[in-house]
Amino acid sequence: MLRIFQRLWQVNWAEQWQYRANLVMYLLYWLVSPVVYLAVWTAIADAQGSVNGLTANDFVTYYMTLLIVDQLTSEITIHIFGYKIQDGTLSGELIRPVHPILTNTLVNNVAFKALTLLALIPVWLALGLLFRPDFGSVTLVNVLLAAPAVALGFAVSFLLGAALTCVAFWSTRVWSLYELYAGLVVLFSGQFVPLTLMPAPVQAAAQFLPFQLFKYIPIQIILGRLTPAEIITSYLSGVVWLAAAALLFRAVWSAGVKRFSAVGA
Amino acid sequence: MNYNPGRSATAKSVSMTSEPVIVVEQLSKTYQVTEREGGFAAAVRGFFRRQYRDVHAVQQVSFRIAPGEVVGFLGPNGAGKTTTLKMLSGLLHPTSGSAQVLGFTPWQLRPSYLRSMTLVMGQRNRLAWDIPAADSFLLNQAIYRLPDDEYQRTLAELDELLELGPIMRKPVRNLSLGERMKCELAAGLLHRPRVLFLDEPTIGLDITAQARIRAFLQEYNRRTGATILLTSHYMADVTALCERVIIIHHGQLKYDGSLGDLSRRIAPFKLIGVALGEAVDVALDAYGAPVQGEDDSGKRFIQVPAGDVTAVTARLLADLPVHDITITEPPIEDVIERAFNA
Repeated sequence: MLRIFQRLWQVNWAEQWQYRANLVMYLLYWLVSPVVYLAVWTAIADAQGSVNGLTANDFVTYYMTLLIVDQLTSEITIHIFGYKIQDGTLSGELIRPVHPILTNTLVNNVAFKALTLLALIPVWLALGLLFRPDFGSVTLVNVLLAAPAVALGFAVSFLLGAALTCVAFWSTRVWSLYELYAGLVVLFSGQFVPLTLMPAPVQAAAQFLPFQLFKYIPIQIILGRLTPAEIITSYLSGVVWLAAAALLFRAVWSAGVKRFSAVGA
Repeated sequence: MNYNPGRSATAKSVSMTSEPVIVVEQLSKTYQVTEREGGFAAAVRGFFRRQYRDVHAVQQVSFRIAPGEVVGFLGPNGAGKTTTLKMLSGLLHPTSGSAQVLGFTPWQLRPSYLRSMTLVMGQRNRLAWDIPAADSFLLNQAIYRLPDDEYQRTLAELDELLELGPIMRKPVRNLSLGERMKCELAAGLLHRPRVLFLDEPTIGLDITAQARIRAFLQEYNRRTGATILLTSHYMADVTALCERVIIIHHGQLKYDGSLGDLSRRIAPFKLIGVALGEAVDVALDAYGAPVQGEDDSGKRFIQVPAGDVTAVTARLLADLPVHDITITEPPIEDVIERAFNA
């Protein structure tokens, strides 16, 4: 199995390099909103002294950590797999003796991440020079504590994204559905603003949704803003969500493949 | 070259006995398609109540194929050939009936089944588009768990037969149609499948490339004893490769037997195309059965029994101001239409 992933990595990495210009465009597009939020909130906090107890430095460190965490936990399955269901190219992958999403698509996501992360580094350093953040609260222990949370966040986001992509087995409108989902992620994951600045109902709802696992929780762990008890509860809820997402994906995938093989594509 | 088809000898594997490798019983596939008439009102009606129509793509088809056989699966467009191949390779669930290939029910998509068969369909299937085929081959080696020495041996053999050489080191998107087909075939055969389903392996290729693929398949079958079921539009594929043909038309099995018997059954005929001088308006009925329509160069066509071609051509040339004349094989659709719709 390890060899399969190794070879998949070679193929996907080589393929991603073919589209490096595309990747840079994507990265620029994807950078715009966090950088704008970063600038706006820092300016407001600077002018007022703080916003809801968050200082300008809190905002800078939050958004700069977000840039990295978001890159690590986001997924692009619908873009690399959705069309395969619709134009039938999935057939070629279905008759291979390995799972198309849990092997090829997974590695494709990771290769994409690795390459965009490479491109992100200079941008991140430039922002650091510009905003001069104080990352004093970040310790090695925090980062080590956050690493599994990042992995968990990616696992849940990958499985949910994959399950959603599988809606393409039934509907060509899967893209609109995905837009809706992406909107919910932005709102409830802490991508827009730190969740503590959101209205109380949004914060309450976020507790019952998986999205804060993608961004808010790993960021807060890295920045040392969660108590040990909060970290434990977050991990527990993460594990529950992982199990739920895995079950959901398995159910949608097998029903989807059954449908694919019933109607043909 | 020695080849061991029973590489992964499982209880289910069928070795080179006379027990059939493929058993198809009463296999049927019905698609439900939505349909509506044109126009605004119909669009609105269709929004609220969809009209469905059943399309019987394959109807109660049964056949058996013995190990090592090369069988041609023929039929006009839409006859149900590809649907049948998709069911046998596991991509489609049948509506009714059963099929066993190497002892497996294909649509259960068991990994051990997928490792012992291949489906080569179209031009973009197993190869990553942007990288050289050689990289996709390495990936297949891992996916099919092929030991290094076995992989190298097979690749060398495929390279020798298909002359892959430099083409497998170019990005797939830069390859010609024929080169790509060679690479697709190689990618589909690296794991030495015991059963090959080939859907139009020569479509879109020029005559030389077609001949090369045919020679390859013949040699592959001879060396490995693999069972091959192939569909084709070209009668030449079938005459070169298959002793046995299965013909399917409108989803039903019309013929299953030797190619020789089929040829006797279908009175062979050829198409003669003639371009006459300007303003010559002669009926060609006297020379053969006219075929409707003419081609771009203004040629008109007649059907003539194969044995009479020389005589009819001579008469045409003697009687009429002929500018151009061609003699061609009729399209396979016409042959089947004539044989089974008469």
